[in-house]
Amino acid sequence: MTDAPDKRPAFEPATRLLKPTAYDPAMRRPTSTVAGAVLVLLRVVVGVIWIGSVVLELPTVLSQIDVSFDDVAATPQLVEATLVVILIVIGAFLLFDAILAILILRGHNWARVVIMSFSALSISASFIQWWAEGQEITITTTLLQLGLDILILLALSSRSAAAYARRNERH
Amino acid sequence: MATEQRARRYSIGIAVDWFFFVFAGLASVWLAYLSLTDTFNVGWWGFVFALAFWVLLAYLVLPRLHRILTTIYVPDYFIGRARTSDGLLGDPVNLAFLGEAEQIHAAMAAAGWTRADPVTLGSSWRIVSSTLTRRSYGEAPVSPLFLFSRQQDFAYQQEVDGNPAQRHHVRFWICPDGWLLPGGYRVDWLAAGTFDTAVGLSLFTLQVTHRIDADTDIERDHIVKTLTSGDARVAVTILQDFSTGYHARNGGGDSIRTDGDLPIVDVRPLPAVAP
Repeated sequence: MTDAPDKRPAFEPATRLLKPTAYDPAMRRPTSTVAGAVLVLLRVVVGVIWIGSVVLELPTVLSQIDVSFDDVAATPQLVEATLVVILIVIGAFLLFDAILAILILRGHNWARVVIMSFSALSISASFIQWWAEGQEITITTTLLQLGLDILILLALSSRSAAAYARRNERH
Repeated sequence: MATEQRARRYSIGIAVDWFFFVFAGLASVWLAYLSLTDTFNVGWWGFVFALAFWVLLAYLVLPRLHRILTTIYVPDYFIGRARTSDGLLGDPVNLAFLGEAEQIHAAMAAAGWTRADPVTLGSSWRIVSSTLTRRSYGEAPVSPLFLFSRQQDFAYQQEVDGNPAQRHHVRFWICPDGWLLPGGYRVDWLAAGTFDTAVGLSLFTLQVTHRIDADTDIERDHIVKTLTSGDARVAVTILQDFSTGYHARNGGGDSIRTDGDLPIVDVRPLPAVAP
Protein backbone atom coordinates (compact mmCIF):
# COMPACT_ATOMS: atom_id res chain seq x y z
CA MET A 1 0.00 0.00 0.00
CA THR A 2 2.93 2.35 0.63
CA ASP A 3 3.63 2.46 -3.12
CA ALA A 4 0.13 3.68 -3.92
CA PRO A 5 0.22 7.18 -5.39
CA ASP A 6 -1.33 9.97 -3.40
CA LYS A 7 -4.93 10.68 -4.13
CA ARG A 8 -5.30 13.54 -6.57
CA PRO A 9 -7.13 16.48 -4.96
CA ALA A 10 -10.37 17.52 -6.62
CA PHE A 11 -9.15 21.10 -6.93
CA GLU A 12 -6.01 22.63 -8.34
CA PRO A 13 -3.65 23.95 -5.66
CA ALA A 14 -3.27 27.72 -5.53
CA THR A 15 0.50 27.42 -5.95
CA ARG A 16 -0.12 26.08 -9.47
CA LEU A 17 -1.15 29.60 -10.41
CA LEU A 18 2.24 30.84 -9.24
CA LYS A 19 4.19 28.34 -11.34
CA PRO A 20 7.19 30.15 -12.85
CA THR A 21 7.17 30.86 -16.57
CA ALA A 22 9.23 28.71 -18.92
CA TYR A 23 12.95 29.26 -19.55
CA ASP A 24 13.08 30.13 -23.24
CA PRO A 25 15.84 32.57 -24.30
CA ALA A 26 14.97 32.10 -27.99
CA MET A 27 11.37 33.26 -27.51
CA ARG A 28 10.11 35.63 -30.22
CA ARG A 29 9.00 39.06 -29.05
CA PRO A 30 5.20 38.87 -28.64
CA THR A 31 2.80 41.49 -30.01
CA SER A 32 1.74 42.46 -26.49
CA THR A 33 5.28 43.56 -25.58
CA VAL A 34 5.55 45.61 -28.77
CA ALA A 35 2.09 47.13 -28.21
CA GLY A 36 2.94 48.06 -24.60
CA ALA A 37 6.24 49.70 -25.56
CA VAL A 38 4.65 51.56 -28.49
CA LEU A 39 1.91 52.90 -26.20
CA VAL A 40 4.53 54.11 -23.71
CA LEU A 41 6.39 55.83 -26.56
CA LEU A 42 3.07 57.35 -27.67
CA ARG A 43 2.68 58.77 -24.18
CA VAL A 44 6.18 60.28 -24.49
CA VAL A 45 5.32 61.81 -27.89
CA VAL A 46 2.14 63.36 -26.47
CA GLY A 47 4.18 64.76 -23.58
CA VAL A 48 6.81 66.22 -25.90
CA ILE A 49 4.11 67.88 -28.02
CA TRP A 50 2.60 69.32 -24.85
CA ILE A 51 5.98 70.72 -23.73
CA GLY A 52 6.49 72.17 -27.20
CA SER A 53 3.12 73.93 -27.11
CA VAL A 54 3.85 75.35 -23.67
CA VAL A 55 7.26 76.66 -24.78
CA LEU A 56 5.70 78.26 -27.88
CA GLU A 57 3.10 80.01 -25.77
CA LEU A 58 5.51 80.84 -22.98
CA PRO A 59 5.29 84.65 -23.38
CA THR A 60 1.47 84.56 -23.32
CA VAL A 61 1.43 82.20 -20.39
CA LEU A 62 3.88 84.34 -18.46
CA SER A 63 1.85 87.49 -18.97
CA GLN A 64 -1.24 85.74 -17.64
CA ILE A 65 0.39 84.34 -14.55
CA ASP A 66 0.15 86.66 -11.60
CA VAL A 67 1.97 85.08 -8.75
CA SER A 68 2.46 86.94 -5.56
CA PHE A 69 3.14 85.54 -2.17
CA ASP A 70 2.58 87.25 1.08
CA ASP A 71 5.86 89.06 1.30
CA VAL A 72 7.72 88.15 -1.91
CA ALA A 73 6.56 89.69 -5.17
CA ALA A 74 7.44 87.23 -7.95
CA THR A 75 9.40 88.87 -10.71
CA PRO A 76 8.69 87.69 -14.29
CA GLN A 77 12.23 86.27 -14.35
CA LEU A 78 11.55 84.16 -11.30
CA VAL A 79 8.29 82.82 -12.75
CA GLU A 80 9.97 82.02 -16.04
CA ALA A 81 12.84 80.23 -14.31
CA THR A 82 10.38 78.18 -12.25
CA LEU A 83 8.43 77.20 -15.38
CA VAL A 84 11.62 76.17 -17.17
CA VAL A 85 12.68 74.05 -14.21
CA ILE A 86 9.25 72.38 -14.15
CA LEU A 87 9.44 71.71 -17.89
CA ILE A 88 12.94 70.24 -17.53
CA VAL A 89 11.76 67.93 -14.74
CA ILE A 90 8.80 66.78 -16.87
CA GLY A 91 11.15 66.34 -19.83
CA ALA A 92 13.47 64.19 -17.71
CA PHE A 93 10.52 62.01 -16.74
CA LEU A 94 9.56 61.66 -20.40
CA LEU A 95 13.14 60.70 -21.27
CA PHE A 96 13.10 58.11 -18.48
CA ASP A 97 9.76 56.84 -19.85
CA ALA A 98 11.23 56.51 -23.35
CA ILE A 99 14.29 54.65 -22.04
CA LEU A 100 12.05 52.27 -20.11
CA ALA A 101 9.97 51.65 -23.27
CA ILE A 102 13.11 50.65 -25.16
CA LEU A 103 14.25 48.42 -22.27
CA ILE A 104 10.80 46.76 -22.34
CA LEU A 105 11.21 46.13 -26.06
CA ARG A 106 14.56 44.51 -25.33
CA GLY A 107 12.84 42.38 -22.71
CA HIS A 108 14.00 43.71 -19.34
CA ASN A 109 11.55 42.65 -16.66
CA TRP A 110 12.34 45.40 -14.13
CA ALA A 111 11.46 48.10 -16.69
CA ARG A 112 8.13 46.37 -17.29
CA VAL A 113 7.39 46.19 -13.55
CA VAL A 114 8.33 49.88 -13.04
CA ILE A 115 6.05 51.04 -15.87
CA MET A 116 3.21 48.81 -14.63
CA SER A 117 3.60 50.12 -11.08
CA PHE A 118 3.42 53.75 -12.21
CA SER A 119 0.40 52.99 -14.42
CA ALA A 120 -1.35 51.20 -11.55
CA LEU A 121 -0.69 54.15 -9.20
CA SER A 122 -1.94 56.65 -11.76
CA ILE A 123 -5.08 54.57 -12.45
CA SER A 124 -5.75 54.19 -8.72
CA ALA A 125 -5.44 57.95 -8.21
CA SER A 126 -7.90 58.63 -11.06
CA PHE A 127 -10.29 56.04 -9.70
CA ILE A 128 -10.25 57.52 -6.21
CA GLN A 129 -10.86 61.01 -7.60
CA TRP A 130 -13.71 59.69 -9.75
CA TRP A 131 -15.31 57.52 -7.08
CA ALA A 132 -14.81 59.54 -3.90
CA GLU A 133 -14.63 63.09 -5.25
CA GLY A 134 -16.94 62.72 -8.21
CA GLN A 135 -14.45 64.10 -10.72
CA GLU A 136 -15.76 63.77 -14.29
CA ILE A 137 -13.68 61.65 -16.64
CA THR A 138 -14.69 62.38 -20.23
CA ILE A 139 -12.97 62.66 -23.57
CA THR A 140 -12.48 66.40 -23.03
CA THR A 141 -10.77 65.85 -19.68
CA THR A 142 -8.58 62.88 -18.82
CA LEU A 143 -10.24 59.88 -20.51
CA LEU A 144 -7.52 59.55 -23.18
CA GLN A 145 -4.69 59.69 -20.68
CA LEU A 146 -6.44 57.21 -18.40
CA GLY A 147 -7.22 54.94 -21.34
CA LEU A 148 -3.56 55.00 -22.41
CA ASP A 149 -2.48 54.03 -18.88
CA ILE A 150 -4.96 51.15 -18.74
CA LEU A 151 -4.01 49.89 -22.22
CA ILE A 152 -0.32 49.98 -21.28
CA LEU A 153 -1.06 48.01 -18.11
CA LEU A 154 -3.21 45.49 -20.03
CA ALA A 155 -0.55 44.91 -22.68
CA LEU A 156 2.41 44.64 -20.33
CA SER A 157 0.62 42.46 -17.76
CA SER A 158 -0.47 39.91 -20.37
CA ARG A 159 0.98 36.43 -20.08
CA SER A 160 2.97 36.59 -23.29
CA ALA A 161 4.61 39.87 -22.25
CA ALA A 162 5.41 38.40 -18.82
CA ALA A 163 6.82 35.21 -20.34
CA TYR A 164 8.97 37.28 -22.73
CA ALA A 165 10.31 39.50 -19.95
CA ARG A 166 11.14 36.41 -17.87
CA ARG A 167 12.43 34.25 -20.74
CA ASN A 168 15.95 34.16 -19.29
CA GLU A 169 14.91 33.25 -15.72
CA ARG A 170 15.92 29.79 -14.60
CA HIS A 171 14.18 28.19 -11.65
CA MET B 1 7.83 15.38 -14.11
CA ALA B 2 10.99 14.94 -12.07
CA THR B 3 12.38 18.28 -13.20
CA GLU B 4 9.12 19.98 -12.40
CA GLN B 5 9.24 18.67 -8.84
CA ARG B 6 12.77 19.89 -8.35
CA ALA B 7 11.85 23.34 -9.63
CA ARG B 8 10.49 25.89 -7.19
CA ARG B 9 6.76 25.61 -6.93
CA TYR B 10 6.08 29.34 -6.90
CA SER B 11 7.79 32.67 -7.31
CA ILE B 12 7.19 36.12 -5.82
CA GLY B 13 7.64 37.70 -9.23
CA ILE B 14 4.82 35.61 -10.65
CA ALA B 15 2.57 36.72 -7.77
CA VAL B 16 3.37 40.34 -8.68
CA ASP B 17 2.54 39.53 -12.31
CA TRP B 18 -0.79 38.11 -11.21
CA PHE B 19 -1.58 41.23 -9.21
CA PHE B 20 -1.05 43.41 -12.29
CA PHE B 21 -2.90 40.89 -14.47
CA VAL B 22 -6.05 41.09 -12.33
CA PHE B 23 -5.66 44.81 -11.64
CA ALA B 24 -5.48 45.51 -15.39
CA GLY B 25 -8.59 43.36 -15.89
CA LEU B 26 -10.58 45.38 -13.35
CA ALA B 27 -9.23 48.68 -14.70
CA SER B 28 -10.28 47.72 -18.22
CA VAL B 29 -13.83 47.02 -17.00
CA TRP B 30 -13.87 50.54 -15.56
CA LEU B 31 -12.51 51.99 -18.82
CA ALA B 32 -15.21 50.18 -20.80
CA TYR B 33 -17.83 51.60 -18.43
CA LEU B 34 -16.41 55.13 -18.80
CA SER B 35 -16.37 54.93 -22.59
CA LEU B 36 -19.92 53.57 -22.61
CA THR B 37 -21.27 56.40 -20.46
CA ASP B 38 -19.39 58.95 -22.58
CA THR B 39 -21.08 57.50 -25.67
CA PHE B 40 -24.28 59.30 -24.79
CA ASN B 41 -22.64 62.66 -24.17
CA VAL B 42 -20.96 63.38 -27.50
CA GLY B 43 -23.81 63.40 -30.00
CA TRP B 44 -23.06 61.89 -33.41
CA TRP B 45 -19.52 61.08 -32.37
CA GLY B 46 -21.15 58.58 -30.05
CA PHE B 47 -20.99 55.83 -32.66
CA VAL B 48 -17.18 56.10 -32.67
CA PHE B 49 -17.28 55.67 -28.91
CA ALA B 50 -19.68 52.75 -29.24
CA LEU B 51 -17.25 51.11 -31.65
CA ALA B 52 -14.35 51.80 -29.28
CA PHE B 53 -16.43 50.32 -26.47
CA TRP B 54 -17.03 47.13 -28.46
CA VAL B 55 -13.34 46.79 -29.42
CA LEU B 56 -12.35 47.31 -25.78
CA LEU B 57 -14.93 44.84 -24.53
CA ALA B 58 -14.38 42.13 -27.14
CA TYR B 59 -10.63 42.22 -27.55
CA LEU B 60 -9.34 43.36 -24.15
CA VAL B 61 -11.85 43.20 -21.31
CA LEU B 62 -13.70 39.92 -21.90
CA PRO B 63 -10.56 37.97 -22.92
CA ARG B 64 -8.80 39.18 -19.77
CA LEU B 65 -11.77 38.24 -17.55
CA HIS B 66 -12.07 34.84 -19.24
CA ARG B 67 -8.32 34.32 -18.85
CA ILE B 68 -8.56 34.99 -15.10
CA LEU B 69 -11.66 32.85 -14.57
CA THR B 70 -10.72 29.91 -16.80
CA THR B 71 -7.39 29.63 -15.01
CA ILE B 72 -9.46 28.84 -11.96
CA TYR B 73 -12.21 26.62 -13.36
CA VAL B 74 -10.96 24.86 -16.51
CA PRO B 75 -8.74 21.85 -15.74
CA ASP B 76 -5.29 22.03 -17.27
CA TYR B 77 -4.89 18.30 -18.00
CA PHE B 78 -6.07 16.49 -21.13
CA ILE B 79 -9.87 16.42 -21.39
CA GLY B 80 -10.14 15.87 -25.13
CA ARG B 81 -10.58 19.55 -25.92
CA ALA B 82 -8.22 22.22 -27.14
CA ARG B 83 -8.34 25.60 -25.41
CA THR B 84 -8.42 29.07 -26.94
CA SER B 85 -5.81 31.67 -26.02
CA ASP B 86 -8.32 33.01 -23.47
CA GLY B 87 -8.45 29.59 -21.82
CA LEU B 88 -11.97 28.77 -23.02
CA LEU B 89 -12.73 25.28 -24.29
CA GLY B 90 -12.05 25.11 -28.02
CA ASP B 91 -12.39 22.51 -30.75
CA PRO B 92 -12.70 18.85 -29.73
CA VAL B 93 -9.64 16.66 -30.24
CA ASN B 94 -11.00 14.12 -32.74
CA LEU B 95 -7.98 12.60 -34.50
CA ALA B 96 -4.73 10.93 -33.50
CA PHE B 97 -1.67 10.26 -35.67
CA LEU B 98 1.27 7.89 -35.52
CA GLY B 99 4.44 8.94 -37.35
CA GLU B 100 6.94 11.74 -37.86
CA ALA B 101 6.02 15.32 -38.78
CA GLU B 102 7.47 14.85 -42.30
CA GLN B 103 5.30 11.77 -42.83
CA ILE B 104 2.20 13.73 -41.82
CA HIS B 105 3.20 16.55 -44.18
CA ALA B 106 3.57 14.02 -47.01
CA ALA B 107 0.22 12.35 -46.24
CA MET B 108 -1.64 15.68 -45.97
CA ALA B 109 -0.09 16.97 -49.22
CA ALA B 110 -1.08 13.76 -51.00
CA ALA B 111 -4.61 14.13 -49.62
CA GLY B 112 -4.96 17.61 -51.14
CA TRP B 113 -4.52 19.78 -48.05
CA THR B 114 -2.69 23.12 -47.84
CA ARG B 115 -0.49 24.01 -44.89
CA ALA B 116 -1.64 27.17 -43.08
CA ASP B 117 0.71 30.16 -42.75
CA PRO B 118 1.70 31.12 -39.22
CA VAL B 119 -0.15 34.13 -37.76
CA THR B 120 1.93 37.23 -38.51
CA LEU B 121 1.12 40.86 -39.21
CA GLY B 122 1.43 40.24 -42.95
CA SER B 123 -0.77 37.14 -43.03
CA SER B 124 -3.37 38.81 -40.76
CA TRP B 125 -3.58 41.75 -43.15
CA ARG B 126 -3.96 39.33 -46.10
CA ILE B 127 -6.88 37.65 -44.28
CA VAL B 128 -8.66 40.99 -43.84
CA SER B 129 -8.07 42.10 -47.42
CA SER B 130 -9.01 38.73 -48.94
CA THR B 131 -12.21 38.63 -46.85
CA LEU B 132 -13.19 42.15 -47.91
CA THR B 133 -12.43 41.55 -51.59
CA ARG B 134 -13.66 37.95 -51.47
CA ARG B 135 -10.42 36.76 -53.00
CA SER B 136 -9.03 33.35 -52.24
CA TYR B 137 -6.24 32.90 -49.68
CA GLY B 138 -5.48 29.19 -49.67
CA GLU B 139 -2.76 29.34 -47.01
CA ALA B 140 -4.72 31.58 -44.61
CA PRO B 141 -3.50 31.13 -41.04
CA VAL B 142 -5.74 29.50 -38.44
CA SER B 143 -6.22 30.97 -34.99
CA PRO B 144 -4.05 29.52 -32.24
CA LEU B 145 -5.58 26.80 -30.08
CA PHE B 146 -3.77 25.23 -27.16
CA LEU B 147 -3.28 21.63 -26.09
CA PHE B 148 -0.75 20.49 -23.47
CA SER B 149 -0.45 24.28 -22.82
CA ARG B 150 1.13 24.62 -26.27
CA GLN B 151 -0.04 26.26 -29.46
CA GLN B 152 -0.61 23.92 -32.41
CA ASP B 153 2.61 22.81 -34.13
CA PHE B 154 1.07 23.23 -37.57
CA ALA B 155 -2.32 23.28 -39.27
CA TYR B 156 -3.75 22.22 -42.61
CA GLN B 157 -6.77 23.46 -44.48
CA GLN B 158 -8.87 23.15 -47.61
CA GLU B 159 -10.76 26.10 -49.04
CA VAL B 160 -14.31 25.65 -50.23
CA ASP B 161 -14.97 27.33 -53.62
CA GLY B 162 -12.40 30.04 -52.90
CA ASN B 163 -14.65 31.47 -50.17
CA PRO B 164 -12.57 32.70 -47.22
CA ALA B 165 -15.51 32.32 -44.83
CA GLN B 166 -15.76 28.55 -45.32
CA ARG B 167 -12.94 26.07 -44.98
CA HIS B 168 -11.93 22.68 -43.71
CA HIS B 169 -9.14 22.89 -41.20
CA VAL B 170 -7.23 20.64 -38.83
CA ARG B 171 -4.65 21.55 -36.19
CA PHE B 172 -1.86 19.23 -35.01
CA TRP B 173 -0.11 19.00 -31.64
CA ILE B 174 2.78 16.68 -30.88
CA CYS B 175 2.24 14.68 -27.68
CA PRO B 176 4.74 15.03 -24.82
CA ASP B 177 7.30 12.21 -24.60
CA GLY B 178 5.89 9.10 -23.01
CA TRP B 179 2.38 10.53 -22.89
CA LEU B 180 -0.47 8.03 -23.24
CA LEU B 181 -4.06 8.65 -24.22
CA PRO B 182 -6.59 8.00 -21.47
CA GLY B 183 -6.95 4.22 -21.68
CA GLY B 184 -3.25 3.70 -22.33
CA TYR B 185 -2.91 4.07 -26.10
CA ARG B 186 0.32 5.59 -27.31
CA VAL B 187 0.02 8.11 -30.15
CA ASP B 188 2.53 10.63 -31.47
CA TRP B 189 0.18 13.44 -32.49
CA LEU B 190 -3.28 14.67 -31.62
CA ALA B 191 -5.34 16.72 -34.03
CA ALA B 192 -8.57 18.68 -34.01
CA GLY B 193 -10.48 19.04 -37.27
CA THR B 194 -13.51 21.30 -37.70
CA PHE B 195 -15.34 22.94 -40.60
CA ASP B 196 -15.73 26.73 -40.64
CA THR B 197 -19.20 27.56 -41.93
CA ALA B 198 -19.30 31.35 -41.75
CA VAL B 199 -17.81 34.42 -40.12
CA GLY B 200 -19.71 35.56 -37.04
CA LEU B 201 -19.41 36.90 -33.53
CA SER B 202 -18.14 34.73 -30.72
CA LEU B 203 -20.73 34.15 -28.00
CA PHE B 204 -18.25 34.46 -25.15
CA THR B 205 -15.95 37.28 -26.21
CA LEU B 206 -18.05 39.03 -28.93
CA GLN B 207 -15.01 38.90 -31.22
CA VAL B 208 -15.29 38.38 -34.96
CA THR B 209 -14.52 34.73 -35.54
CA HIS B 210 -15.37 31.71 -37.67
CA ARG B 211 -18.47 29.75 -36.72
CA ILE B 212 -17.89 25.99 -36.97
CA ASP B 213 -20.18 23.23 -38.13
CA ALA B 214 -21.75 21.57 -35.10
CA ASP B 215 -21.37 18.04 -36.47
CA THR B 216 -17.61 17.67 -36.05
CA ASP B 217 -17.80 13.97 -37.00
CA ILE B 218 -18.45 14.90 -40.65
CA GLU B 219 -15.20 16.87 -40.77
CA ARG B 220 -13.29 14.14 -38.92
CA ASP B 221 -14.48 11.50 -41.37
CA HIS B 222 -13.74 13.83 -44.31
CA ILE B 223 -10.13 14.20 -43.15
CA VAL B 224 -9.70 10.44 -42.69
CA LYS B 225 -11.29 9.73 -46.08
CA THR B 226 -9.03 12.17 -47.96
CA LEU B 227 -5.98 10.72 -46.21
CA THR B 228 -6.76 7.08 -47.00
CA SER B 229 -7.73 7.82 -50.59
CA GLY B 230 -4.67 10.08 -51.01
CA ASP B 231 -2.21 7.33 -50.15
CA ALA B 232 -3.13 3.65 -49.89
CA ARG B 233 -0.39 3.02 -47.29
CA VAL B 234 -2.19 5.14 -44.67
CA ALA B 235 -3.83 2.81 -42.14
CA VAL B 236 -6.63 3.75 -39.75
CA THR B 237 -7.76 2.10 -36.53
CA ILE B 238 -10.68 3.52 -34.60
CA LEU B 239 -10.94 3.86 -30.84
CA GLN B 240 -14.66 3.59 -30.33
CA ASP B 241 -16.41 5.77 -27.79
CA PHE B 242 -13.11 7.44 -26.90
CA SER B 243 -14.98 10.51 -25.73
CA THR B 244 -18.51 9.44 -25.04
CA GLY B 245 -21.01 11.21 -27.24
CA TYR B 246 -21.43 14.64 -25.75
CA HIS B 247 -23.01 17.96 -26.51
CA ALA B 248 -20.95 21.02 -25.79
CA ARG B 249 -19.85 24.38 -27.06
CA ASN B 250 -16.50 25.46 -28.42
CA GLY B 251 -14.68 28.69 -27.55
CA GLY B 252 -16.79 30.69 -29.98
CA GLY B 253 -20.02 29.42 -28.45
CA ASP B 254 -20.85 27.03 -31.31
CA SER B 255 -22.43 23.77 -30.25
CA ILE B 256 -20.59 20.53 -30.96
CA ARG B 257 -21.94 17.01 -31.49
CA THR B 258 -19.87 13.87 -31.84
CA ASP B 259 -20.25 10.10 -31.53
CA GLY B 260 -17.00 10.08 -29.56
CA ASP B 261 -14.93 7.83 -31.85
CA LEU B 262 -11.23 8.64 -32.23
CA PRO B 263 -9.58 7.45 -35.46
CA ILE B 264 -5.84 6.76 -35.09
CA VAL B 265 -4.22 7.45 -38.46
CA ASP B 266 -0.97 5.54 -39.01
CA VAL B 267 1.28 7.34 -41.52
CA ARG B 268 4.47 5.47 -40.53
CA PRO B 269 4.65 3.46 -43.80
CA LEU B 270 5.17 6.71 -45.73
CA PRO B 271 8.69 7.95 -46.53
CA ALA B 272 9.96 10.37 -43.89
CA VAL B 273 11.00 12.92 -46.53
CA ALA B 274 8.46 14.32 -48.92
CA PRO B 275 9.21 13.03 -52.47
